[in-house]
Amino acid sequence: MINRERLYLPVLVLTGVLLFIGLVLIFSSSRVIGKDLNDLFLKQLIWLAIGLAFLILLAGTDFHFWTRNAPFFYLLILLLLAAVLFIGHGRSGTQRWFRLAGFNFQPSEFGKLFFIFTLAAYLEWRKDAVKRFGTLFFAALFILLPPFLLVLLQPNLGTAFIMIPIFLVMFYAAGSPRKHLVTLVLTGCCALPFLWLFLKDYQKQRILVFLNPSADPLGAGYNILQSRIAIGSGGIFGKGFLKGTQTHLAFLPEHHTDFIFSVLAEEWGLLGSTVLLALYLLFLIEIIRIASYTRDRAGTSVAVGIMAMFATQVFINIAMTMGFLPVVGIPLPFLSYGGSSLIASLSAVGILLNIKQQETFI
Amino acid sequence: MDRLDWLRRAVILVFVPLGIGLIYLQVFSYGRFKNFSEGNSVRTLYLDIPRGKILDRNGEILAEDKLGFNLTFVPFDLSNPKRCADILAPILQQSRSDLLQIFSARYPNPFEIQVLARGLSQEQLHFVEEQLAQLGGIYIQAGLERRYPLGEHAATIVGYLGEVNRDELASLRNEGVRSGDLLGRAGIERIFDALLRGERGGTSVVVDARGHQIRILGQKESKPGNSIVLTIDAGLQRAASEKLGDRPGSVVILAPATGEVLALVSKPSYDPYRPAAYLFSKSKPMLNRALTGLYAPGSVFKIITAIAALEEGAITPDDQIECTGVITLGEREFHCWKEEGHGAISFKSALAQSCNIFFGEAGMKTGESALLDYALRAGLGVPTGIDLPGEKSGSIPEPGESGGALNLSIGQGALLLTPVQMASLIATVANGGNIMRPEVIRELRTPDGTLVEKYGPALRGSFFVSEGTLKLLREALRAVVDIGTGHAAAVPGIPVAGKTGTAQTAQRDLNQPTRGSFVCYAPADAPELAVAVVLDSGASSEAAVIAGQIMRNYFLQAREAGGEDTAVKSSSEPTED
Repeated sequence: MINRERLYLPVLVLTGVLLFIGLVLIFSSSRVIGKDLNDLFLKQLIWLAIGLAFLILLAGTDFHFWTRNAPFFYLLILLLLAAVLFIGHGRSGTQRWFRLAGFNFQPSEFGKLFFIFTLAAYLEWRKDAVKRFGTLFFAALFILLPPFLLVLLQPNLGTAFIMIPIFLVMFYAAGSPRKHLVTLVLTGCCALPFLWLFLKDYQKQRILVFLNPSADPLGAGYNILQSRIAIGSGGIFGKGFLKGTQTHLAFLPEHHTDFIFSVLAEEWGLLGSTVLLALYLLFLIEIIRIASYTRDRAGTSVAVGIMAMFATQVFINIAMTMGFLPVVGIPLPFLSYGGSSLIASLSAVGILLNIKQQETFI
Repeated sequence: MDRLDWLRRAVILVFVPLGIGLIYLQVFSYGRFKNFSEGNSVRTLYLDIPRGKILDRNGEILAEDKLGFNLTFVPFDLSNPKRCADILAPILQQSRSDLLQIFSARYPNPFEIQVLARGLSQEQLHFVEEQLAQLGGIYIQAGLERRYPLGEHAATIVGYLGEVNRDELASLRNEGVRSGDLLGRAGIERIFDALLRGERGGTSVVVDARGHQIRILGQKESKPGNSIVLTIDAGLQRAASEKLGDRPGSVVILAPATGEVLALVSKPSYDPYRPAAYLFSKSKPMLNRALTGLYAPGSVFKIITAIAALEEGAITPDDQIECTGVITLGEREFHCWKEEGHGAISFKSALAQSCNIFFGEAGMKTGESALLDYALRAGLGVPTGIDLPGEKSGSIPEPGESGGALNLSIGQGALLLTPVQMASLIATVANGGNIMRPEVIRELRTPDGTLVEKYGPALRGSFFVSEGTLKLLREALRAVVDIGTGHAAAVPGIPVAGKTGTAQTAQRDLNQPTRGSFVCYAPADAPELAVAVVLDSGASSEAAVIAGQIMRNYFLQAREAGGEDTAVKSSSEPTED
């Protein structure tokens, strides 16, 4: 069970603060629209309860259980990802969801965690050969590429992309030589044109619209434009709680999910958004602190992987709402509405707490 | 660890551009975006584009968009919804509470224009205009309105439109569909909805506080919908529908050589302008009986019996059979429709008079399995493949389950056909054995008339019948109309070949209505039309009357309109009796 003395409070407190901000924003964005969205607020509370249960459970479970059995889980998640392609429920041409007991369940959210465990297990196994290029190249080919392609096919451009920084950061932290990593990235860049063939029309359109937003002012470009208006019109001090006109008059689509940051930026202004960025930064640095405290190689790997996961999500999501990156459908951790994302994020926090718990046994 | 320190620095570095972005948007661009949001100054102006036309084979309009007047409202602008509902309820013939509900519903975007009523009449228009000062937030707008010149006469094929629902809206948003738009709900309107609809474009503009356009942010070209040309002949379609009248049943008219559907009527039909009133009607007007109605063919099946018996040598043209009006088979008595009997009768008169005893005997000699085999070879028992949705395959029973050769040979028993299958059968006889796929869709054209795609005739199979048999059968079918049971279908100057059919819906003595049908082709020597008329209740002679009226209308009008070809051909036709 959880040892109270070894409970790492900074991460837990920061998680709590972020969750609170998320609930306030979802409440705000759902309040004016009407009944349908108030249900969302209640649903999010249910998700939160489930997520906290996951957090407690995982904080009390030795994380080595996950890394030791990683190959098994890895294959299982590959099967799930393949299955969701065939029997999953699509939303606007996508196949990301399973329906479980009436709730939508998105395996790729959890896939990211199992991906991290697998890499950690692999780095542990190859700890003496980590400086060899072969070690890195093998992992890129057989651990990164299969789930990457399956998630890409769903098609979920954002989640697929997140795997890349996780992979690079974990190998970097484990001691892979810099020039090897650079070589790998350059090789990947050469493969980029082939990726274009994998993309669905609507994804190509999103990227083209990102490059030229005025190409489709009624469709994808509309989201970006309205989101920028929301953020920009917030100014330094914001319009105040529940006063965001963009949000409440529903010019901003999907404001409770992927564009939740715009709600914050509109209502709380530059001050609010800077505070949020600072909280995220602190949170990430605290995770790195856990990674550096622990003497356990696998623990470091997992913690660093989780850090990279959160960092990438935060960066992509916020850059996307500001119109600096294409709209790829990445939720903002702890803040965006959505069950799978929230549960997966809280599970990750549980795992981090457990790494800290294990510390003295090594 | 050194590397983790580097990671910490990298993370901080990653956040720098986000901070710079925020400062750029919220400090330096604040003024611009604030204006945008305050005046809600970014407006999307949608362009209404006409839906594609649906045309008949001669270019006559079956469905098109015409300019009309709509009553619209902007939820945000409604100053006094109650007063609006009071004033508008009597004009729109809607209840006050319904209107209030529409006005007070929550709209995703309260600035977006919503349509309250379409296609206002002149009276409604004047009335609303007079009251407009009282109706804050209510507007009269020119809008496009779907017109169906043939109305209920072609509704079964053409279909109707209905407002887009929430689920569709989510999936079609990228194609420019937005709330209040109309989508095809049945028939051609539905099958070709995406092509007819086209893609709506629009302009995103910045407006000032007074609503004047300052600047265009972006534009998307609209793609107008394509036109669909059908094989239907509007005149024939209307005539077929009018002559069938209000009787439940179907008329299918094919061009025998190509399988093109010239007319397809299913009654009861519905008014495409107010389909909602018919959706749940007990008489099922939305059902396309011509494709889905299953009927025992009755004596129409004697066409198959005749071919099978002649081909298999079970009868010869000169064989005579004595019809006493009854055969006894085991313990069961089997009656001819003519109680006193036809006396000694040969093939041609037996078909002309539709003698059950003759064909019962002939069928028993031919055998059940041979009869069923010929039915399958004629293309029955499977869907005809017509390019309209929902067609049923009918049913050809397995040998031993048909109710016996005797019943089968006169089309009473487990064998069931759809009206379009009956039409296809007679078309196959008319063209000499080609089983054509019935087709309704002929061409796809762009709005300016350029051909995009052409759908040609398709041969589904061949029904091989010897020359001699075919000649005998055709002569006998002519006798049906000239001197026999189908005389009511005769057209002056045009030879017609046909066959009547009557099926008992249940046991004969239970006084149930019969299902009369009539199939024919004309002119018999150079067939232009293959017609099937099937009545849900009525005598076969009534079906023949309807077929006759439709053909007279078609051929006599064509002659008047200078269709010399038909006139010359028919006058040169030698009459044989």
